[in-house]
Amino acid sequence: MDSNLENEATGPTETIVGPSVKIQGDLNSEGDIKIEGQVAGTVTTSQNVYVGDKAVITADVVAGSAIIAGNVNGNLKISNHLILQSTATISGDIACEVLRVEDGAHFSGKCNMGGNSKAKTKEREPETEE
Amino acid sequence: MYYYILDPHNLSLPRFEKLQVELQGLLAEFNVTGEVGRVTALRTISDLIETASQRGAHTLIACGSDDTFNLMLALLKGRDFTLGFIPLTENSYLGKILGADSLHTAVKTIAARRIEKIDLARAGNTYFIGSAEFGITGHDLQNVNLWNSFTSLSGKAMELQIRIDNQYTITAQTIGGAVVNSRMTSSADQSLANPTDGYLDLLLLDALPKSAILRYKQDIIDNMLEKTPHSSVIKCQKIEFLEPRGLGLSIAGKVLTKFPETVEIIPRRLKMIVGKNRTF
Repeated sequence: MDSNLENEATGPTETIVGPSVKIQGDLNSEGDIKIEGQVAGTVTTSQNVYVGDKAVITADVVAGSAIIAGNVNGNLKISNHLILQSTATISGDIACEVLRVEDGAHFSGKCNMGGNSKAKTKEREPETEE
Repeated sequence: MYYYILDPHNLSLPRFEKLQVELQGLLAEFNVTGEVGRVTALRTISDLIETASQRGAHTLIACGSDDTFNLMLALLKGRDFTLGFIPLTENSYLGKILGADSLHTAVKTIAARRIEKIDLARAGNTYFIGSAEFGITGHDLQNVNLWNSFTSLSGKAMELQIRIDNQYTITAQTIGGAVVNSRMTSSADQSLANPTDGYLDLLLLDALPKSAILRYKQDIIDNMLEKTPHSSVIKCQKIEFLEPRGLGLSIAGKVLTKFPETVEIIPRRLKMIVGKNRTF
């Protein structure tokens, strides 16, 4: 599955944010998103997200699966697989079904995994709103 | 009933008359004859559309150049015609998109009457079914020598500011780009340049290193900017071009409008007769 996910990240992608591009606001897509530039706001898709090693994201990311090689300041809520590559730096909480962290990746935050973590995440949301 | 709008624009009179005879022969051969209106100084395309509407025509066929079809689109004003296109000029990009790139193929396509509902892009008061470009465009590169290609494609980038779908703002350093509804070259990726998906594709072109220019020049001419290094692809329904003010948005080298301008898609708005060799 992991290799499939990596193959998908190099295949046709619906939205590509190039290295010279800065986005401010809510980036929503129905397909895969590949980010090589900067995003501030939110990133949402039911499909895959790939964050390149030069990318800087100051945003919460909600996606089906994700491969992170760049810098993310925000929470990651991933329904399936999350891969943190060796160049990844994450400052924020992670919720996912399956997590793979490569040597060298930096992660600072809480991590919830599996169905149990989903339930906990849902329980916590109202508390933070209050 | 078919109504044919014959436009001699961009053609010499002898050439036009020869093509007209050839066209009428083909229309008779394929049994798709109808009423014919010729554009003159006194009868504009707008007048002919009005006439077609009064005569109860349901199918309007533009016979002429790409400009003829684009002008006809802009002048329809919401009238519900099925549209067709017969190119009388060579290298028609619309003919290639629609799979009707020669007189014979186009008449055969009209006779087969395969109708697709396709998306219509609107830029201000103008409409298009192909693509519009800004900055360094494929059209600019078609007839320039290698040295000028190097100068253009490795030149200084401009700062572009765009608002997408009222949701987010893009700031990009780019030398050019395109808003694509459909294009002459089929895409390997079916989700791009598909005029039946209800979306526009915004493609942004980064300045290229000199070593990459020869390799990617043809892709840029074909408007396949997604193949170039560091390009961006944004699928959306509404694009508000904010900066730089005054930058032209053009189709095949002709400036349609200038920034600031909004381009949006009207999904499945056109009933279009298409050929089997269309690019989507």
